[in-house]
Amino acid sequence: MLMIRSPILSRRGFPRTAVFALRLAMAGGMITLAGAAPAGRDSLEGRALAVLEKNCLECHGGKLTRSGFDLSSRESLLRGGESAQTPIVSGQPAESLLFGKVSHTAEPPMPYKRPKLSGADIELLRKWIAAGAPYAQPLLTEKDKVHWSLRPLVKPEPPKVKESKWARTPVDRFVLAKLEEKGLTPSAPADKATLLRRAYFDLTGLPPTPQQQEEFFKDHSPEAFAKVIDELLASPRYGERWARHWLDVVHYADTHGHDQDAIRENAWPYRDYLIQSLNADKPYARFVEEQLAGDILFPESPGAVAALGFIAAGPWDESTLKDIREDTIDRQMGRYIDRDDMVTTTMSTFASTTAQCARCHNHKFDPITQVEYYNLQAVFAGTDRADRTFDPDPKAATLRQTLVAQKALLDGKDRTAIDALITPAIEAELMAWEKSFAGKTIRWTALDPVTFTSANGATLTKQPDHSVLSGGTRPERDTTTITAVAGLTNITAVRVEVLTDDSLPLKGPGRQDNGNLHLTEFRLLTPTNPASPALAEVALQNPSADYDQPGWTISHAVDRDAKTAWGIYPQVGKPHHASLELKRAIASKDGVPLTFVLEQNHGGGHLIGRVRLSVTDAPLPIRLNPVPESIAQIFSVPMAQRTAGQKREVAAHFLRKQIDQRLAALPKKGLVYAGTSEFTPVGTHKPAGKPRAVHVLKRGDIHKPGDPATPGALSCVPGVPAQFEIADLNKEGQRRAALAKWLTHPDNTLVWRSIVNRVWHYHFGRGIVDSPNDFGRMGSAPTHPELLDWLAVTFREGGGSLKQLHRLILNSATWQQSSGHNAKFAQTDSSNAMLWRMNCNRLDAESVHDAVLQITGQLDLTMGGPSVRQFSLSPGIHVTPLIDYGKFDLDSAGGRRRSVYRLIFRTLPDPFMDAMDCADASQLTATRNVSVTALQALAMLNNRFMVRQSEHFAERLGQLGKTPPEQIAAAYQLALGRPPTKGETEALADYAQRHGLANTCRLIFNSNEFIFVN
Amino acid sequence: MKNFLPSSRREFLWRFGGGLGGIAMAQLLGRQELLADVLAKGHLELNGGLHHPAKAKRVIQLFMNGGASQMDTFDYKPELIKRHGQKFDPGAGIHVEAATSVPGNVMKSPFEFKQHGQCGRWVTSVFPHLATCVDDMAFLMAVASKTNVHGPASFMMNTGFLLPGFPCLGGWISYALGSLRDNLPTFVVLPDPRGLPYNQKGNFTSGFLPVAHQGTIIHATAPTPIADLFPPATAKFITKESEQEGLALLNKLNREHLAQHPGDSRLDGRIASYELAAKMQLSAPEVFSLTGESDATRKLYGIEEKATEDFGRRCLIARRMLERGVRFVQIWSGAGGPTNNWDNHGDIPKELPPIANATDKPIAALLKDLKALGMLEDTLVVWSTEFGRMPFTQSNTGRDHNGGTSVAWLAGAGIKGGTAYGESDPWAWKAANGKTQSYDLHATILHLLGINHEKLTYRHNGSDRRLTDVHGEVVHELLA
Repeated sequence: MLMIRSPILSRRGFPRTAVFALRLAMAGGMITLAGAAPAGRDSLEGRALAVLEKNCLECHGGKLTRSGFDLSSRESLLRGGESAQTPIVSGQPAESLLFGKVSHTAEPPMPYKRPKLSGADIELLRKWIAAGAPYAQPLLTEKDKVHWSLRPLVKPEPPKVKESKWARTPVDRFVLAKLEEKGLTPSAPADKATLLRRAYFDLTGLPPTPQQQEEFFKDHSPEAFAKVIDELLASPRYGERWARHWLDVVHYADTHGHDQDAIRENAWPYRDYLIQSLNADKPYARFVEEQLAGDILFPESPGAVAALGFIAAGPWDESTLKDIREDTIDRQMGRYIDRDDMVTTTMSTFASTTAQCARCHNHKFDPITQVEYYNLQAVFAGTDRADRTFDPDPKAATLRQTLVAQKALLDGKDRTAIDALITPAIEAELMAWEKSFAGKTIRWTALDPVTFTSANGATLTKQPDHSVLSGGTRPERDTTTITAVAGLTNITAVRVEVLTDDSLPLKGPGRQDNGNLHLTEFRLLTPTNPASPALAEVALQNPSADYDQPGWTISHAVDRDAKTAWGIYPQVGKPHHASLELKRAIASKDGVPLTFVLEQNHGGGHLIGRVRLSVTDAPLPIRLNPVPESIAQIFSVPMAQRTAGQKREVAAHFLRKQIDQRLAALPKKGLVYAGTSEFTPVGTHKPAGKPRAVHVLKRGDIHKPGDPATPGALSCVPGVPAQFEIADLNKEGQRRAALAKWLTHPDNTLVWRSIVNRVWHYHFGRGIVDSPNDFGRMGSAPTHPELLDWLAVTFREGGGSLKQLHRLILNSATWQQSSGHNAKFAQTDSSNAMLWRMNCNRLDAESVHDAVLQITGQLDLTMGGPSVRQFSLSPGIHVTPLIDYGKFDLDSAGGRRRSVYRLIFRTLPDPFMDAMDCADASQLTATRNVSVTALQALAMLNNRFMVRQSEHFAERLGQLGKTPPEQIAAAYQLALGRPPTKGETEALADYAQRHGLANTCRLIFNSNEFIFVN
Repeated sequence: MKNFLPSSRREFLWRFGGGLGGIAMAQLLGRQELLADVLAKGHLELNGGLHHPAKAKRVIQLFMNGGASQMDTFDYKPELIKRHGQKFDPGAGIHVEAATSVPGNVMKSPFEFKQHGQCGRWVTSVFPHLATCVDDMAFLMAVASKTNVHGPASFMMNTGFLLPGFPCLGGWISYALGSLRDNLPTFVVLPDPRGLPYNQKGNFTSGFLPVAHQGTIIHATAPTPIADLFPPATAKFITKESEQEGLALLNKLNREHLAQHPGDSRLDGRIASYELAAKMQLSAPEVFSLTGESDATRKLYGIEEKATEDFGRRCLIARRMLERGVRFVQIWSGAGGPTNNWDNHGDIPKELPPIANATDKPIAALLKDLKALGMLEDTLVVWSTEFGRMPFTQSNTGRDHNGGTSVAWLAGAGIKGGTAYGESDPWAWKAANGKTQSYDLHATILHLLGINHEKLTYRHNGSDRRLTDVHGEVVHELLA
């Protein structure tokens, strides 16, 4: 029997020409191949395999391998799937499971949940099996099964084309080859005016001004347009325009979203980082790495911290993650959901992959396992969203780093290193400094507690340094009573030290979760007379502390007001002390029994964690020691008698103080809302300390935690190891750094394809892959796969320069085509996937807004800084404020800024921008919708922004022209980039005369010509 | 949905999001060539439905924001009376936790339960008017949520997901069915005038669907109920004449432009959208004016009484919009935040009666009015909340959030009145039998509209998204 491989079996776009011939010999069910002779596609084999390919292959060996059954080759077909029954018993259809299923005599009937095959097809399969199921060449080879986006990146040669004159760049040759293949031809080049308006909106989001138009028209050199592109890429407006695209992709907003939609005051430094990075043409790999792990990979680059705003860009459920009880399942689930957003954003943005689809089960379409998904969650196991500090000024950052490093050295054990810092100059300063303290230091004597009790059940233990540590139950409120006997003969003042301890939250010195304490009242009592047990209170005066929390000063501890107290927040994690003078000194020969009562009645567990009490006999006034106790003691030793160690200790202390002063003098650090493991706790939203445990949740169910996940990525990307080698798993930053490096690996097939496709999408209104966030099997296939690969490799080899990529595309003949219609071509390729013309695109919401401002002469080009609130704000009934876009003063300074600087309110978006299809900041938006609705028409006509700007436009035209025709001419040049026709001038001038220029301007803004770019 | 051109007027019409149905069809049917057939059928109404014949033409959803207490309204539990004041112990060492408080003691309802109607449903004294309608209502007695937190729970009941950014029920219906008429929006929302609910506008979003499917907010009592319907009153330069002539001139300019740029249906579309906008300007004000309604009707809805004036007015406006072709109306009772809603943490006896009272008479009036007008035949009424409340106390007499179980009811088109499905445990703490979730409620609503919830999908970032995610069973037990 002679056969030919059926052409029907060819795969998408790759016609197979190989012809196989074979002879099948039936021998005990065995099939042998032999011979070579042509056969028709109408052969039994060809037709039968066509039926399998059309109806079965997708789920069994194509996109999926359901039930482990793969019929893409004869070998795997015969092997069968999970069922014990053999799919094909050669020559015996009735015994073959495959036939049973398609003929609906076996369960479950196939094709699954789809219509039964036709009787003719079933009969065909029966005959085919009866004939021994001839099947020479696999329907799919192993190579075919690798999805296009996971195939290694190879730079293809630009193809040969017939119309080589048209093809100006390699890009054009790839496009033209496809056009020629389909019998299409490119369109004529666009005219100069069209080209200019297109380039301006594309690269800067603004139209060309009449001056810019004039300059371009004057320049008749062949490089005129290339020069424009260079100028626009060098313009700061470029970064503003393209950062806005990036903000869509990462779903950035200035508020949390969810029900408690609070404003993030410090989200904007990330937006500014994007604008600056794009304007500086930062290499793409670095751009990616900074956004995931800038703090770890580029510690010398301060802007890299602002880049971490990427991780925090998405919504955050404040209610679940901050306000409800910490010990609930809702909180745990909230954390998984929060990390899910980080994983989804990262993998969609950089790798165009849908790892998030593997949360409840292995990915149904792409080779991503559930374990791999949770390994990605483990990358962010210690990362939260919160304000984190950074140095906006690089010089200050460098100095700060040097100083902090020196301080670490001083705190370390390397004596030689410390001695090296003590130069002769420093020694001289040191001497002068010590002299300034002569006679000013106070000797304190620590009291050894005799009894110590907690009123509300805390466990108190005495420490070797005479301090008392509080542990065990943490009552809401407590009163600590300590008795001791002072050995001094004269007591003039007492000192309270609150000390740190590893057992305390954030090391204390308080027991509150945030390390704070509140000393409501401090009392000192002594026996009324030596023989009596009755105690009397000793009056205290002139309290002073080394640090007072704003509004919570030490004076509150002696004001006998139970509502006020001394606190030390946010200076937690370090010891503090306060001194209080006795109004009348206590004199005694044998020592005085003292009773100290420390009331901590503020509530919320604001208790002292560790306390030490001291007394002194120094004469009044008593001030806080300018130096710590240990240094004061060394000062009492004459300089000549000091040991080397003592000298070093004094010098180190002096240097530390100097460094602190210099640090304090540095410009204030900035805050950015970012992914971080270091931040000030708010409520029960506090740093994880070390990465939290992440488990593989069975079916995604929080109640069914499986094995713990370990940080890693996807194994489907060839040549880039999915397992991370991390030196210290406790350092969450190292986990992020590993993922960043995995993404930017030169062999990462997804990442390099992803970015060039995104850029292409924004230039043409449609990507080479029409699903920029999904390069998986559910996504679209590339229309020009070779072009995509050529761009990806060229981009990577060129160092990841986005500006170079823009040049490559905008200088192509493809991009510079006219967008004119061609009815014949539209029949072949209605969506213009092959690019036989340029796409005509509607302006997006921001371009409408910004272009209107520029045209009316109102645009304020101030860059950067806190987000502009284009609404009025008042307190809401709960966390979310009340905001009213209708009450904003449109003519105020903030109303004239570019829209990239607007404050984006996640759950209360600007209704005008919304109507114009602005991205929903709760979703990752790779492509914006373009809708046409009556409500949009009403917004363009009646929204107060448009109405007010029409008035401004009219005022401006009043200055530009004297007569209505002159004014109409100026209006057209500004808004549409062309002079009006005679008919247009007449009609609009007539209208303007009767209804005013402002109404006329409103019409121009509402015209199709204004809102579309050809 | 992308920036490239639709090929034809036909494709444009699908994309238009108004009149004829929305692009859902193209994906749903899977074959371009079938589009013409569907178009030929005209409006997809009761005759065809999207996937099967529909029972309901339109929907009105009443959303009780904050978590309406099931055991103080419809879920009668003698066990709570028996164990009142005792420590709450479900037995078997089961851990009991609450979202915002330490669990208190068991609390019986402070309100008296009585059986009503032919069906004998139990209703407390907080709903005297609704109690007279129980024979028209079908109850889901064990609606569970996946969370005990307002934000995610409200998202779930509106969009089927705990996360923000997914299209809501009204958005999906608009996408699937489009409008009944083109002079009013397809999907409108009437929020509580005291404030937007939890998640603010996130509950009415079209998410990744085209913005045409977003809920249009109607400020029923504001001078301009629909934003931008008319120019701002301050813009004196815009007059009736300037507007009329201006729109004609705009039309002329756009048509000249179209003649030079043929083959782009979006340009046609924009021209048509201005015509539709003008129609809406004519139709909308009439809807909000209640002057044409009789005194009897106004009385029925409680518009003459202070307690029910606002909610009654919104219910009556909703009825008027449904009459005039709006497909989906959502009315909210209660603002976000800790008060003025159903989130009665502090004091059930004091906090629940006023909010219940404000809605009781108007909702009963709506049911009776729709029935009298013959509209209940093809109008589906849905009453729901984001979760229930706890059988034990918070503070002294309040109740904390409870995702374990809650009550929802449906009435009207295709609904078997006087029935109930599902049952909570003896404490109304968790769903016991016939547990349902947002998915099942949504699947049932879509089913009545002639939509198979598994087939209504939209491809977004790699997934064929559904309102019901990967869940959802139609609750046939409630269907007539």
